[in-house]
Amino acid sequence: MEKKSIVKKITGSREALLAVILILLFAVVSVISPSFLTVKSVTDMLKNNAVTMIMSLGMLCVMLVGGIDISIMSTLALSGMSIGMLLKYEYISNTVVAFAIALAIGTACGLLVGLVISRADVPPIIATMGFMYVFRAMGYLVSNGGEWASAAALGSFKDFATTKILGLSCVIWVIILCYVVFFFFMKWTRTGRKIYAVGSNANAAEVSGINVRNIKLLVYMIMGFLAGLGGAIQVSVYASAMPDMQLGGEMDVIAACVIGGVSMSGGRGTVLGALLGSLILATIAKALPLVGIDPLAQNTIKGVLILVVVVANVVLQRVADRSALKGREM
Amino acid sequence: MAGKSGRSINNVPESPIKKMLFSWEGILVIVFILVNIFCACFSEFYNLKSLLRQMPVYLAEVFLMLPMAYILVLGEIDISVGSIVCLCATMSCIVCNTGAPFVLVVITALVVGTLCGSVNGFILTRFQELPPMIVTLATQIIFRGIAEIILGSGGSISASNTDGFRLLAGKVGSVPYILFLVVIMAVIFAVILGKSTFGRRVYAIGTNRLTAYYSGIHVQKIRFIIYTVMGTISGLCALFIVSTSYGANTTTGNGFEMDAIAMAVFGGISSTGGKGNLAGGVISAFIIVCLRVGLGQRNVHAQVILLILGLLLIGAVALPNIIGQVKKAMKVKK
Amino acid sequence: MSEYVLELKGITKIFPGVKALNNVQFQLKPGEVHALMGENGAGKSTFIKVITGVHKAEEGEMFLNGQKVDFKGPKDAQAAGIAAVYQHPTSYPHLTVAENIFMGHEIIKNHMIQWKAMNSEANKLLKELNADFDATAEMGTLSVAQQQMVEIAKALSTNAKIIILDEPTACLTRSESEELYRIVDKLKEEGVSIIFISHRFEDMYRLASRVTVFRDSQYIGTYDVDGITNADLIKAMVGREIKDLFPKPEVKIGKEMLRVEGLSRVGYYKNVSFNVHAGEIIGLTGLVGAGRTEVVESVCGITRADEGKVYLEGKEVYVKKPSDAMEKGIILLPEDRQKEGLIMSWGLGRNVTLPTISKYAKNGICGEKEERELSKKLLEDVDTKAVDIFQPASSLSGGNQQKVVVAKALSQEMKVVIMDEPTKGVDVGAKAEIYAIMGELALKGYAIILISSEMPEILGMSDRIIVMCNGRKTGELSRGEATQEAILELAMEKGHAAGKEAAK
Repeated sequence: MEKKSIVKKITGSREALLAVILILLFAVVSVISPSFLTVKSVTDMLKNNAVTMIMSLGMLCVMLVGGIDISIMSTLALSGMSIGMLLKYEYISNTVVAFAIALAIGTACGLLVGLVISRADVPPIIATMGFMYVFRAMGYLVSNGGEWASAAALGSFKDFATTKILGLSCVIWVIILCYVVFFFFMKWTRTGRKIYAVGSNANAAEVSGINVRNIKLLVYMIMGFLAGLGGAIQVSVYASAMPDMQLGGEMDVIAACVIGGVSMSGGRGTVLGALLGSLILATIAKALPLVGIDPLAQNTIKGVLILVVVVANVVLQRVADRSALKGREM
Repeated sequence: MAGKSGRSINNVPESPIKKMLFSWEGILVIVFILVNIFCACFSEFYNLKSLLRQMPVYLAEVFLMLPMAYILVLGEIDISVGSIVCLCATMSCIVCNTGAPFVLVVITALVVGTLCGSVNGFILTRFQELPPMIVTLATQIIFRGIAEIILGSGGSISASNTDGFRLLAGKVGSVPYILFLVVIMAVIFAVILGKSTFGRRVYAIGTNRLTAYYSGIHVQKIRFIIYTVMGTISGLCALFIVSTSYGANTTTGNGFEMDAIAMAVFGGISSTGGKGNLAGGVISAFIIVCLRVGLGQRNVHAQVILLILGLLLIGAVALPNIIGQVKKAMKVKK
Repeated sequence: MSEYVLELKGITKIFPGVKALNNVQFQLKPGEVHALMGENGAGKSTFIKVITGVHKAEEGEMFLNGQKVDFKGPKDAQAAGIAAVYQHPTSYPHLTVAENIFMGHEIIKNHMIQWKAMNSEANKLLKELNADFDATAEMGTLSVAQQQMVEIAKALSTNAKIIILDEPTACLTRSESEELYRIVDKLKEEGVSIIFISHRFEDMYRLASRVTVFRDSQYIGTYDVDGITNADLIKAMVGREIKDLFPKPEVKIGKEMLRVEGLSRVGYYKNVSFNVHAGEIIGLTGLVGAGRTEVVESVCGITRADEGKVYLEGKEVYVKKPSDAMEKGIILLPEDRQKEGLIMSWGLGRNVTLPTISKYAKNGICGEKEERELSKKLLEDVDTKAVDIFQPASSLSGGNQQKVVVAKALSQEMKVVIMDEPTKGVDVGAKAEIYAIMGELALKGYAIILISSEMPEILGMSDRIIVMCNGRKTGELSRGEATQEAILELAMEKGHAAGKEAAK
């Protein structure tokens, strides 16, 4: 039994390894640039990456069932733009109502995506690619063909991002809330485990009475819901709404999950991993200018990082397999 | 060893014409005709002449669809092609601006594209466990990132000597060179995929990779070749893109991979591998090109065109599935 | 109370175009082990799925303890105390053993999963089954036998009164099967009724008291195991008598074709040497996991050996990839027809010519006409039951699929033919045909290596038998000296204890 627990530790140490990398990253950057490790700088970083951090949770669910969703930033733009325009033309003024509308639009988009994928059996990459066009275009249509909702037009809504509760910005509270809820949801509830079960072996799940189609529908709705939330947060943090916001941002969300150890083929991945993955990505983005690297190189470094992480995974797995084989007695 | 039962197995194929009529390609031809009728009604400027004049901008993307079809038949995906186009366009403008002869510009674009493609191919064949989606996602960010670094803070470059590019944008009568090239390339790619041993092997890999490997097919070599050719063709596409805009910027080629995939999938090439043919892909590509020209003439916003494309893409895959499900349900009821 | 815990009457199940079950019946007595036998495609699996509520029968009635029941889905069956353990464990490889056991009926308190309670409960169940692993282990890291144990624990955790075992021994080694027999005996003592599906007569004799036979979607009869002879049972299953199952022809053994010397691959096999002559059939056997398949896959270039030499007709050959082996005439018929042997959605013709398309091509363009002629001839040669060469491989039965695999091999120039478990999942009737083909191949002077776990097959067909255990060759027996006991002794030479220790 002893040997097994060691093996388990090694396979289960993915999060630990990520945490060590994150701490090292923090240490190195704060040595080079002392201004990095201040409360303000860190909270700014969290605020600016709130959208990616929140949406990684949805992407985690989607990737756990072996899917992918690249339409999320279009959903974000549509929901964000909708409330932006509603606020601008003073149909609504209440922040809570604005949030509710954004969430409703996001969930509806997710429902649509989920239906097409789970009921019409369209491969997720194709379906979400289509919806990426559709939702983004609807965002444009909502904006009357490219209008912005600027800070002035947003009224009291933008205050959400600047209001503090217990010394922390509301945005950060939303992030914390999301992560706590998901941590419990994924680990301690039946539905959460069903998501893992479907991703691990959909056929077995079917036989044991889990409604696989509904679980698939559910994950895309969760993703849509969080994209709607992301839309509201985005508008509030940047105090503006425009139809092309977060164009291409879905790659960041997927990257955060991949770095956090979520498997593209489903079944493997944790909430903690998604958190650490998105934090590592955010820290690197924040740190580059501080350590004197041209921000222009940021994307290249991000891409190389993803590549290194996935290749390192494969190499480590091969080494582990090889040594396991060597240890086999013959 | 003669079969004991003496049972005879039929080996005469069905007539191909009958097959074609009821196929997806048949439907696409009808859609193509309908789209042209629609465009002609929608825009009074829509005729063969204006179509030929405005086509080249959109035709460049049709190049990308050709190798993308191979990748989809393999059951894989390459979402880095838009970024490769961007990098190739950038590099060709830079070489052009040094005053080098135009041949060198062409070579640069093709070589850069080939290199990018082979990087994808190398990683994917060396580390076969990796899903192409994630590898090309990373290289998508990297290739565009490199272009961003090269372009610097301005984020754009324009070609100072446009003579060469003007040549590329030339015409025979009123037919642009690019249309000839697209048709020739499409025929070559379609014949190789549909009729050659290479194509048969691609389908084999896409349908059952393990069986293909056990049957002695060089799976990794074929994958490497296809990803590399994808890069080369992206370089070619970049040249024609520059020849319409005489420059490049950080958003050049944005979304091209999606357009290429959409054309192929709308053409009946399944993204899960092993199904579809290039005839469908080419017809659907021209449907989309005509639609874009027609709608563009009446100043329909680009986003609306994308919306239509998005719906077409989802509908093309979803409808047959839904019809199939309904049919099945009816059968069970009977 | 009725005499039976479970009784089904007049069950008919129709799939689009096929009657999968035609008016079948079945009775299960409390506390008995009831074997369900029949050829592949006889309707056993469909029948099981009707019992477990996965399929709904069009006609017929089902009684549980004399009460009529009507299951709407798998959940109803589960609630009624019926659990099934399938041939391929239907598990979740990424989740822990405890989660696998309790999937669908987790221990819940206030909507929260009680992990601690679940783990301890799971460990208790595993202990009852003498399992040697912990409930927190990840399912994917376990062996097939261990996974099957988890499946049984899962059935027990639902307090099932009727457990269905669908070919549970198909993937197990002999000692693992023994372990399973012990568990089944124990369950029987506890009053659980068991339906046992298997192709192995051994399983049936060892465990069951009664046996029901299905053939061609129909009920044939129910017999007492003690009261029916092997031959009668086969007759009931096949509908005809099979006289000569192993038509091994007398072949003059020719010169040496293939010689393997000191082949090693880290972690799979070590220092394996053997040879095979023209016209000779050698049987390569051993327990599952002994490294048989791995050795021949290296010979054929599927994987690379770390050390060792391979000689073909006396000359050393270097095989780096599958195509190298094929060019030289070393042809492998892989173990898994559906995943490695055939492209199931393709027509038979294209499957047959896949390895050799270049031969008929001109300038890289396929010579389709020539391909059609050749594939027709080859498929007819091996007597495939097919209508035309365009029908997909998936439309054929297992035995006919295997014939297509043989035809595919025949399209190439063969010297050495390696058949890996050629009759796995093939019903009795088709088995005999495949043996006949094998015999004819030997007559034609090919050197044949037959890998098999089935003792009668190995004993019946081979000229020489090579036994492997734990990655090493442990012995070689001639046809005369080979007996079931001698082979088993060699196959388990080092003792199973050593293996068990390593697993821990």
